[in-house]
Amino acid sequence: MNKKGAEKILSVYWFVILILVAGGVFAMVYLFYNHPYDIRDLEADILSNKIADCLSEKGYLKSKIFYQGSFSLSSENFLNKCNLNFESKEEEPQYYSEIQIYLFENLNNPILEILNGNKNLISSCEIQNENYQKLAKCSEKKFYTLDAENNQYLIKILSIVRKTEKNVK
Amino acid sequence: MNQRGDILMGNIIFIVLNLIFLTILILFLLKQGQGAIILEQSYAKNIALLIDYSKPAMEIYLDMEDAFELAKKNNIPFQDMVQIKENQVIVKLSDKGGYSYSFFNDVEVGQYPSVDNKGYYFIISNYNE
Repeated sequence: MNKKGAEKILSVYWFVILILVAGGVFAMVYLFYNHPYDIRDLEADILSNKIADCLSEKGYLKSKIFYQGSFSLSSENFLNKCNLNFESKEEEPQYYSEIQIYLFENLNNPILEILNGNKNLISSCEIQNENYQKLAKCSEKKFYTLDAENNQYLIKILSIVRKTEKNVK
Repeated sequence: MNQRGDILMGNIIFIVLNLIFLTILILFLLKQGQGAIILEQSYAKNIALLIDYSKPAMEIYLDMEDAFELAKKNNIPFQDMVQIKENQVIVKLSDKGGYSYSFFNDVEVGQYPSVDNKGYYFIISNYNE
């Protein structure tokens, strides 16, 4: 082959490389922007923090929750007392919250248990890894607190956020 | 034209085509990140998270300059860009419906575009009764 022929083949080869690079870039950009931002981990964390703030302040149970030796919080009034709104446009509820309050002397049986939202989401918390993005996201927190008479309590909070359609493709 | 002229012309065409290719690629990349669908989703989720974390008597300012530019281009009135209905944030930057995302914090929220049309104010007035 003469020199001119070789140059022509080289430029065809060069354009094939350009097309391959362009194809790769288009594919990567399409894949990147076609996936929605997944903020469910953050939402579940914020929900847990909100519930913790609702129950306890500066290390003491709030008076609107615990007054004169008894809890005024129940599964029925929990959303109202903690200023939460679990309504959504989807048919299925998108949130679940579970609070367990234990006396420090007996950490086996909770003295108060509050459940609210979609109980079907609890099973998602058993598998939380990258391969199962379509499952709901969970956040678990526990902390110690005191009442006015310095009795000690352990509070466990589980928050779950589904919203799969808006956060995963 | 002699052989030297042919080689020069060939190289110039080759370089020009390469530059055109790179320009298209860069424009494509820039346009993808600034599309209405991406920005609507990003701001709706951002605002929902801010509201979830907020407490009454808070005033939140969110810089949305790129969203304002896009809304202006698409003839969307600035006061309609962000709407809050019940517990849904709706961000609309084109005439194709917008993007909505829900928040769980049961607060009353007022939203107003800033005077310089670069951001939005969110005023958390109280908890809903």
